Amino acid sequence: MKSQTAEHGRTSAADDQGGPAALSSSPVQVARSRGLHGWRGFAFTVPYLFFLVLFGILPMLYALKLAFTKASGGFAGFGNFTQTAKDYRFVPAMEHVLVYTTVWLTLLMVFVVTLALLLHGRASRASSTFRFMYYIPGALAGAASVLVWLFMLDPSVSPGSFLVHHVLGAHHFVESIAPGKLPFIFAMIAFWTGAGGWVVVLYGALNTIPTELEDAARIDGAGPFTLALRLKLPLIRKWIAYMVILSFATGTQLFVEPQLVNQASLGMVPDTWSSNQLAYQLAFRYADFNAAAAIAVDLLVIGLFAAVVIISRTGLFKAAD
Amino acid sequence: MALLLRGLRLAILSAFAVFFVAPMLWLVLAPTKSDRDLVDRGPFTFGSFHHVATAWQHLNGFSDHIYVTWIGNSLLYAISATLIVLVTAVPAGYALALGDFPGRRVVLTITLVVMIMPAAALVLPIFLELNALHLIGSVLSVILPFAFFPFGVNLAYIYYSTAIPRELLDAARVDGCGEWATFRHIALPLAKPVVALVLFFSFVSDWNNFFLPYTVLGDSTQYPIQVGLSTLLSSTPSFNPATGGGGQQVGIFRPELALATLIAVIPVAIVFMLSQRTLVRGLVGGGVKE
Amino acid sequence: MKRRRLWPAIAVMALAFVSACGGSSSGSSKADLTVWVDAARLPVAKAYQKAHPDVKMDIVTFDGDGNGATTLQSKIQLWNRAGKGWPDVIFSEQANDPVWMGQKPFDFAATITDLMPDSVLSQWPATSTAQCTVDGRQVCVQDNIAQVVLWVNKKKMDEFGYTVPTTWQDWAALGAKVATEHPGYIVGNIGDSYSHWIYLWANQCPLSGVDSNTVTINATDQHCTEMADVVDPLIKNGTLPPLGVFTPDFAKQYGGDDDKVLMMPGPSWYAKAVFNDTLHMPAGEITAAPPLQWEGDSEVTTGQVGGGPWIISKHAKDSKAAADFVTYATTEFNPTGKDARPGYPAYAPAADTWLKGMAADPFFASDPTPALKDAADKIWGGWNLVTYPDQPVWSDTVVSKLVAGDSLSSLLAPFGEALANAAKAAGYEVSNS
Repeated sequence: MKSQTAEHGRTSAADDQGGPAALSSSPVQVARSRGLHGWRGFAFTVPYLFFLVLFGILPMLYALKLAFTKASGGFAGFGNFTQTAKDYRFVPAMEHVLVYTTVWLTLLMVFVVTLALLLHGRASRASSTFRFMYYIPGALAGAASVLVWLFMLDPSVSPGSFLVHHVLGAHHFVESIAPGKLPFIFAMIAFWTGAGGWVVVLYGALNTIPTELEDAARIDGAGPFTLALRLKLPLIRKWIAYMVILSFATGTQLFVEPQLVNQASLGMVPDTWSSNQLAYQLAFRYADFNAAAAIAVDLLVIGLFAAVVIISRTGLFKAAD
Repeated sequence: MALLLRGLRLAILSAFAVFFVAPMLWLVLAPTKSDRDLVDRGPFTFGSFHHVATAWQHLNGFSDHIYVTWIGNSLLYAISATLIVLVTAVPAGYALALGDFPGRRVVLTITLVVMIMPAAALVLPIFLELNALHLIGSVLSVILPFAFFPFGVNLAYIYYSTAIPRELLDAARVDGCGEWATFRHIALPLAKPVVALVLFFSFVSDWNNFFLPYTVLGDSTQYPIQVGLSTLLSSTPSFNPATGGGGQQVGIFRPELALATLIAVIPVAIVFMLSQRTLVRGLVGGGVKE
Repeated sequence: MKRRRLWPAIAVMALAFVSACGGSSSGSSKADLTVWVDAARLPVAKAYQKAHPDVKMDIVTFDGDGNGATTLQSKIQLWNRAGKGWPDVIFSEQANDPVWMGQKPFDFAATITDLMPDSVLSQWPATSTAQCTVDGRQVCVQDNIAQVVLWVNKKKMDEFGYTVPTTWQDWAALGAKVATEHPGYIVGNIGDSYSHWIYLWANQCPLSGVDSNTVTINATDQHCTEMADVVDPLIKNGTLPPLGVFTPDFAKQYGGDDDKVLMMPGPSWYAKAVFNDTLHMPAGEITAAPPLQWEGDSEVTTGQVGGGPWIISKHAKDSKAAADFVTYATTEFNPTGKDARPGYPAYAPAADTWLKGMAADPFFASDPTPALKDAADKIWGGWNLVTYPDQPVWSDTVVSKLVAGDSLSSLLAPFGEALANAAKAAGYEVSNS
């Protein structure tokens, strides 16, 4: 514990001041021993822990239990997992989700980071107006989006009918939602609703970069590209990592967009297009919560795997450095 | 060259702005048209205010003025839950980021894991818990689960671990402040951006949440607006042909839906504008150096 | 430390205050009668309350479980697990809801014949009662029926000099004529999620024959293939587009003042909901003709698109009160004019009153009621409702491929297979004879 503390003290001192580490380490070391150690730090988290246990841990444990038991209560081993894997909708759903997640993450990483950097490059009144415009679709969810996208995807009434004709190649609504196009349609809708929020978060993250660093880099001759790619991007990598982890999880757990297109198309797009939808149907239509829990655990494992990879690569959980 | 780059920057930003805003603009103009105009006339044409008034009449008359009740419910749930979230998530994020106690990483890990767990699997256990606590039917059955917002804790964690240097806190401690005082006098004032972020995301997430209220609420007069909008959608013949032709009495068509959606967006837009100012202003720079 | 601990306490106290004066708890334990209705059926629930002020009612409006939703399945499951919360009466927009409600694991529906007298129940068409019968037990009464008839644009037919066809073959021949003489006009559409109920059910195609736990699905039966042979040329020549009638582009292309709808096989509720509200067709054009038949068939059969059931809960505290409400809603409540019941009433005497109102409606070119009345008990009883919805299977397997240019004949076998998959997933055995 102590050596870790000292190391942290030295690292942060060196990062910020660039000055002699030795001088600052002693008072830092002494001060930290009076800091948020042990129960004091813990106490700050207690109110949150109450909710974490009640609505996070307990339900999750129960869901895990459901995945490994039968409806009657007896132990089922991996029975639920093999049974759901054999369902005729399971493999197509997984395929759909795989394609979708790839498209979604690419769109997100490329465009959200680009937009945040572009906006931050010249902060002005215009920037905040742009940010507002990017964000505001996030206020639309569920039923509201159904209505909007029913019209946006219908070439005869859409404001973007030119795009629908030439990019999607569709002359009728049913052609816009042809099976091969669906991963891209859903990625577009998810991007439309979700990207703005992340642009705001990354913009806020960029704002925590001290201006002195930027000025120093500019004085050294860095142009806008270098500034963005070499200075800003690495400093917000924790936020980007976080965005990727969450987006990977939300990607594999795709539910809302296919569900709303299912409603808008009056059933033409099936309500088991994605794995999460299949889990929902198993739970609520067939009253098979055990099978639903099994699929949920499948998705959880996939999401955790990605999270572990990203966390270890970017050191997301290391204490502040 | 610089001018070209600036032009390019503006072009990219504007293209995206069009993509994000065009459907919203369509939505704003939709209530001014009749259901027929929506199909016949261009997407960005303005109809008349008279149509808006008619649409509002139909909307308000739906199911005994239940629309306004739904908005009120959403406000109650979102505000109450967000208050609790702020009180619990900000101190927790602070301690997780800057503290050093056993179980710190465990809590962080579990927080992240719970976020990655699909909601469909968690709904039944939460329902059963709430039932055991005799909360089914009360507004707490929605507010308490909403008050669990791990994303808020994560936001606070990342914020505090990247934006507040330890020196600032250590300086306060060296000066003799206890933990609580340190939190109140250093971490809290500097927390404005993250409070704005957490408030904003929590409010919007609660406002837009469909799944949980849909499951735990039995009485439609307790529905938040999202669940209500879904009910409205089902009452529109074009989305629900099997109503058996009930559309003409119920009077809900696409312009009414558009109006319902628009009004439901307003509180969120207000919250966004309020948080945005603090977000832009809040900066650490200057706390340690000067 | 002390001050910090106060904050959560204050928050919780504020909450308690708020919840005390805010939101009401669902008063199902306090009310005598709890009914769940959709928006279109709210007027009848309110009328009952007004007529019976001594009965304390809790009227809950919900989304009606229409359009393939799983609202009622999720709710009933959760109530079953909690052991409480069931309403006494539910109205559903999904015609097949009573099927799973009457079976395990949901086990929600009470037996109607125990609660309503035979003298009343016998006034429902036999086909309607049959749809509400699960495992030999009647579990619901239909509020309205949705028999398929042939809707005809009398004005344009007279203008073009065509006669109204009575057989599918004549209709197809007319379609071929229309394609050459008046291109752009249509004689129907086949792109809705329920189009198979209009064309295949009507011709007795065996895709949903239930016998206890077995479903008979035979998509290559003669009744199915012959129908496909009839409609394929029409799909190809554009007079039977594989588009849905509720999409904006359909309304734009075929609706409006200068509509292109010459004929359209469809259910009784198309009357105003589609032709007026959705397609905005002018008055004085549309009327109803008897449903099309296969040439040479002696028995008249047609399909059905909907029909909303009322279900009484097994767990109702006061079953009599519940039955009284359902009786009122289906047999007594029958206003005229603009407050008229939304669909063709299933209870025959109520239907007569309702039809009188429709006969006087100036929207129609001529009296559509004889055709509607006639078709009311001609719905083919060989197509039974099952626990799984088959519309999404049709939309997904057939309509999307029709749009891409495939013929219905080539899609029958995949459609049958997909239906079989859905049946097996729902726990049925599948046979094909």
